[in-house]
Amino acid sequence: MRTNQINNEERIKAFKTAKKSEVIERQKLNVRYHVEDFDVNDRPRRFLEAFAAILKHSNYRMALDHYSRVAARCSHCATTCQIYQATGNTEDIPCHRSELLLDVYRRHFTLGGMFKGRISSSGYLTDEKIQEMAEAYWNCTACRRCVLECPMGIDHGLITHLARYILSEIGIVPRALVISTREQLEGASRNTSAVPVPALKDTLEFLEDDMFEEKSVKIKFPLDVKESEFVFFPAVSDFLMEAETLMGIAAVFAATGDKWTIGTGYFDGINYGLFYSDRILERVIHNVDDETKRLNGDKILIGECGHASRTAKNFMPVFCGGKEATPVVSILEYTHKAWKEGRLKLNPEVITQKVAYHDPCNFARNRWIVNQPREVLKSFCKNYVEMTPTGENNICCGGGGGTVSIDEIRPYRTTVGGKLKADQIRKSGCDILVAPCANCKKQLRELVEDQGINCQIVGLHDLIYKAIVFDESLVVKKEKNPTGKEEN
Amino acid sequence: METLLNFARGPLFRLCFALMVLGLIRILFLDVWAALKAFRKTDDKRMPWKLIFSRTWEWIFPFKRLKNNFQLYSVISILFHIGLIIVPIFLFAHIQLWKESVGISWISLSYSWAFWLTTGTIIFAVSMFIGRLVIKQTKLLSRKQDYLWLLLLLIPFVTGFVCANLTVSPATYHFFMLVHMLSGELIFVLIPFSKIAHCVLAPLSQVISVLAWKFPPMTDDDICTTLNKKGAKV
Ligand code: SF4
Repeated sequence: MRTNQINNEERIKAFKTAKKSEVIERQKLNVRYHVEDFDVNDRPRRFLEAFAAILKHSNYRMALDHYSRVAARCSHCATTCQIYQATGNTEDIPCHRSELLLDVYRRHFTLGGMFKGRISSSGYLTDEKIQEMAEAYWNCTACRRCVLECPMGIDHGLITHLARYILSEIGIVPRALVISTREQLEGASRNTSAVPVPALKDTLEFLEDDMFEEKSVKIKFPLDVKESEFVFFPAVSDFLMEAETLMGIAAVFAATGDKWTIGTGYFDGINYGLFYSDRILERVIHNVDDETKRLNGDKILIGECGHASRTAKNFMPVFCGGKEATPVVSILEYTHKAWKEGRLKLNPEVITQKVAYHDPCNFARNRWIVNQPREVLKSFCKNYVEMTPTGENNICCGGGGGTVSIDEIRPYRTTVGGKLKADQIRKSGCDILVAPCANCKKQLRELVEDQGINCQIVGLHDLIYKAIVFDESLVVKKEKNPTGKEEN
Repeated sequence: METLLNFARGPLFRLCFALMVLGLIRILFLDVWAALKAFRKTDDKRMPWKLIFSRTWEWIFPFKRLKNNFQLYSVISILFHIGLIIVPIFLFAHIQLWKESVGISWISLSYSWAFWLTTGTIIFAVSMFIGRLVIKQTKLLSRKQDYLWLLLLLIPFVTGFVCANLTVSPATYHFFMLVHMLSGELIFVLIPFSKIAHCVLAPLSQVISVLAWKFPPMTDDDICTTLNKKGAKV
C-alpha cells in the first residue's frame, strides 16, 4: 500500500526548515512556515477562549458533536490521504489529525469531558498540543479527498478549516497569507498581489495589443462598464502570471459578444478566508458583492481558480442574502455553455500534443465542475488522455488549502504534498497538463520542475486562446489597419 | 439459574432495550435539532440533496468505495457488519421471543444461513481485532474501546453459537445462555453512549457536513468583541 513513500533523502529535504533557530525560540513555535510575531504567553488559555468564541457564534458545535459520536477510528482515510501516502507518518492520518482538535473539544467543551478531566486532572490543552496542531493542520492541503473514504462521513477538511481558524485567532497563521489578506482588506490596492489600478490598466492594454497582433481581432478587457452581464474576478495573480489565461477568456467573450467587465474598484477573486478564517472569508465576499453592485452587474464571474470559485459560489448565498444573492458563474461553466451553444469555434488542428486535465479539488470534490472542461478539451485536443483517479476522486496537486502561497514550504509541497500527483502525471505521459486554477498551476509548475517532469502546465483558456477561430466579421484586415491602437 | 434466566430474558431485556431505544432517540433528536437550528440560521437554503443522497447511499452500500480503493480490511469490516445486523434481527429463536412476549414476528433465517452468518461474523470480528493489532495505522488510531467493542460483540455471537449448535450439559447451556443475554443487554445499554451510535447517526453525516459549511453571517463583530479584538488589524 505504501509503495509511494518518499525516501530518506526526500524526507530530510521536505522537512528541513528555512527558519532561524532564534525565531523559533522567540515565537516558541517550531513549524516550517513563517508566522508574524505574536503573543506567546498563555497560549492554551487564549486558544480555548478563541475556540469558545467561535463555537458560540457558529454551527461548528453541531459538527464536532456529531463527528465525536460517530468516529470509528477505522483508518480507512489513511489510504486516500496523499500526505500520509507520501510520508507514512502516522501523524498524517486524517482521522488522527482531526482527533487533535476533537480531543480538545471533548475535554474542554463537553460535560462528559470536563467531568472526566476533573477526576483524572489530565488531558489539559498544553503548548505542546498547540504546536502539534499548528504543524498538523498546515501539513494538510484541505483537499477533502479523505471525506470520500470515511465510512462515517466525517469531513476532515472542515476540521482542518476550523482548527486553522482558531489558531489564526491566537496569531498562528502563515505570514504569507496574512500579509496578502491585509493588503486586500486594508491596503491601498485592495488586492492580494498589491497590483495598483494604473498597473492593471497598463497590463491589460498591453495584452490587448498583443492579442490584436496575434489574432487580428480587437479583443477588449472592458473596464468599469456598468450594467454588464458579468463582473469578472480572477485570482489577481493572473494579471501578473497568467496572461494567456486572461487572453483566452477575453477571446471567448470577443467571440460570444456577451457583456463583461472588470471593476477597477475591486478585482481580486482570491479569498484566503477559505483557508484560515470565516471572518476574513465573509469580508472578502462582501467586497466582491459590493463591486458587482457598484457596477450594477447581473452576475459574478470567477476566473480560472478553484478556491475563488468555490468560495464565491458557496458563500455568496451564505453571506449575502440566500436566494437574493448575486448569482455566481465560473468561467469554466460559461465557456462550456458558449461552446455547447455553438458560439465558440475551436480549431482541432492546433493542439497536437498529448493533453491531460487536472481536476482542482474545489471544483471536483463536490462534483460541481468535472465534465464541462473535459468536453471542451476533447473537442479540439485530438490527443487527450485521462489520468486516474479523476473527477471527485482526483488527487490534489499538493498545494491546496492555501499552502501553495507559502513559499518557504516549497520543498515540502513538491516532495510530500505533490508526490502522488507527480507520479500520476508521469504515468499519464502528457505533454500538456491543463489545470484551470491559479493555485494548482503554481504548485504544479513547481512540482514538475522539482521532480524533473517534462510537462507544460497551462490553464484551459490558454489552449482555447491558441485554438479559437473567430468569425470573419471580427477579423480586421491588417494591411489597412496595421495596429489596433490607431483605430481606437 | 432458572429465575436468573427468566429475569434476564424478561424485565432486564425490556429495560435494556428501552434504554437503548430512548438513548438512540435522544442522540438522534440532538443531532436533528442542531441541524434544524443551523438550517434556520442560514439564509442559504440550498441543499445539494442529490449529492447528499448519493453519498449516503454509498455509505450503506460501499461498493463504489471498494471499487476505487480495494482494501481487505474494508471488505472484512463490511462482511462483519452484515452478520452483525442480520443475525440478531432475523434469528428464529429471537423472533420466537418477540412473538411470545409482544406477539409480533417476521421472516427468519434458515438454520444453515444462521450458522454460516454467525460463523462468518465471529471470524470477521476476530480478523478485525487482529487487524487493529497489526495494521500500523489502525493500531495507532485504536482506543481501548475499539478493541473492547470487538470483544464484547463477540461474546453473544460465540455463546449463541454454542447454545444453538453444540451439545452441552444443561448447566453449561444455561450458563452460556445467561452470558449470551447479559452481554447482549450490556451492548444495548452502551450503544447510545459509544461509537456504535453511528448505527443511527452516520446517515446524517452528509447533511451535518453540508450545514456546517454554511457559516452564520455577520459573526465578525461578535467574535472580535468577545476576543477583545475590535479595530485590530487583519
Ligand atoms: S483533506 Fe486531503 S490532505 Fe487533508 S487529511 Fe484529508 S486527504 Fe489528507
